[in-house]
Amino acid sequence: MEIIISNSSGVPIYEQIKEQLKNKIVSNELKANELLPSIRTLAKDLRCSVITTKNAYEELVKEGYIKPVPSKGFYVAEINRKIAREEQLNKIEELLEKAIWIAKEIDEPKKTLEEMIKILYEEEK
Amino acid sequence: MEYSLELKNVGKKYENFELKNVSMKLPKGMIMGFIGENGAGKTTTIKAILNIITSYEGEIKIFGLDNRKEEAKVKEDIGVVLDDMFFPEIITPNDINDIMKGVFQNWDSKMYNDYLKEFDLLPNKQLKTFSKGMRKKLEIATALSHHPKLLILDEPTSGLDPVARAEVIEIFQSFIENDECSILLSSHITKDLEHIADYITFINHGEIILSETTNELLEKYGVVKCTEEQFQKIEKKDFIKYRKTKYEYEVLVEDKKKFKAKYKVDVVDKVTLDDFMVIMIKGEE
Amino acid sequence: MIGFIKKDIAVMKSNIKILVLLTLLYVAMGIFGDMDISFILPFMVVMVMIQTFSYDSFNNWNAYSLSLPNGRKNSVRAKYITTIIMILIATIITFILSCAISYLTTKSIPIEKIGFTMLGTVFGTILMLVLMYPIIYKLGVEKARIAIFIMVFGLIGVGGLLLSFIDLSVVGKTLSFLEGYIIEILILLGILMVYISYRISLKTFSKKEF
Repeated sequence: MEIIISNSSGVPIYEQIKEQLKNKIVSNELKANELLPSIRTLAKDLRCSVITTKNAYEELVKEGYIKPVPSKGFYVAEINRKIAREEQLNKIEELLEKAIWIAKEIDEPKKTLEEMIKILYEEEK
Repeated sequence: MEYSLELKNVGKKYENFELKNVSMKLPKGMIMGFIGENGAGKTTTIKAILNIITSYEGEIKIFGLDNRKEEAKVKEDIGVVLDDMFFPEIITPNDINDIMKGVFQNWDSKMYNDYLKEFDLLPNKQLKTFSKGMRKKLEIATALSHHPKLLILDEPTSGLDPVARAEVIEIFQSFIENDECSILLSSHITKDLEHIADYITFINHGEIILSETTNELLEKYGVVKCTEEQFQKIEKKDFIKYRKTKYEYEVLVEDKKKFKAKYKVDVVDKVTLDDFMVIMIKGEE
Repeated sequence: MIGFIKKDIAVMKSNIKILVLLTLLYVAMGIFGDMDISFILPFMVVMVMIQTFSYDSFNNWNAYSLSLPNGRKNSVRAKYITTIIMILIATIITFILSCAISYLTTKSIPIEKIGFTMLGTVFGTILMLVLMYPIIYKLGVEKARIAIFIMVFGLIGVGGLLLSFIDLSVVGKTLSFLEGYIIEILILLGILMVYISYRISLKTFSKKEF
């Protein structure tokens, strides 16, 4: 499992961990009922504090993506993939709206945006 | 919450320095970074915790027990790395193994020898032939080899190169993989602490300035960089301290979000422990 | 406490060459010379032990030792016990060597006389230890050396002065009833002195802060 933490992005580390785990769950890379690494092991492996990973897990529990099993650890919850996917799509839409808004501000044509998306999408792979 | 270490109003007077009302709580299973300038009182506090100084005021509890009344019992479970205090330099790592067998009930010779191997320390050489970094590593190996539950580390990474530092930081993190174990770690290399410390306690002129979770400190506090004109508009109650540099004002604010909302500014930088320390120590109110 | 004793022995180890050299010197003197220097080995053992105090403060072992379980009590206790054990070992070695020399050469010193010299040596070196250690704990090795220097000369001075006033034969007569018990008295006195000295050192060290 890969989790990449950036110290310069400005996004709190626990949020980075949370988002990346969430994406892995939604994309089914982490399957339902799979055991997650313990809070302490994850902290050690990511070189961050225990409280940070604890926060990330607690938020994921709150949002229903993972569930705690006493004295065993945290397991990936059975999520309604459709709803979870919808949520993520909404987020994409929101961010794209912002981008479009800026583009319009400086009168950039739609084409530039499309090209940008194409290039960035390819790069990420 | 259970605490590995609790200090309540600890005080100690010297001729030219005073430790005043030092209080802090280190929850079980956590790492606390203890920061402050040289001479701010970190080592004095640590000496009080370990009874190297005994005539202090206040109360110190370790694993819930009074550290003066139950000293011997408590110390079985503490491992220490102290700044510039260790075995006489004419003995060897092998001697230390022999000696510690007679000091700690839980001394683990195998573990100790494994650390010596891991750190490339020759067991038969006198300590005086070791470099500063090698000595530090030996001190760390010695601190860990009786399966302590609390590590008290005074500048454990000083004298280590970046690779060795990463190596020992990883060892400290493995140490708290067991949730019974905690660490109090003083350092002025704040970069190390920013990542791994759950709590930060900041001491200045013998007084605790703050003691809270690292995340809260780094997320909540912020640094505003502005011109003199802009600075004049900021109300005094809205910032903690400021520092005037050659080109700008650096203003430390307690709540980034509130500040942004009130003064309609876009950029309030995240604070780093370094910024925080420098502005708190050098800045004006 | 075993650990603390081992530590003092480990520090002493670096001086083992001097002790071996002195033993050889002693044997040579015993065979070829006339002077009796059978006190030399136990005496040097005490000197070497005093040297361990220097190493303790030089590398701040004193402060470090206090972070260990029972650090204060064990540090002091180990110093006394190690020194006494070392004195006894040195004395036994000297005794055996003296007997051997006496047997091998034409000197043929009676074994009682050797034994008595050795008893005197043990008492003398223990006296040194009980006087010096509390002062070292109080003042540190460097200052203690000066203090002891002054003390020894002071004692000789006062002693000499007293001797010129007191008629020794009278003292001898009053104490003559003790004559048969001299060994027992020396041993008892030694134990008592060590105990008092140890309590004083422990008290001093318990108040020390580093």
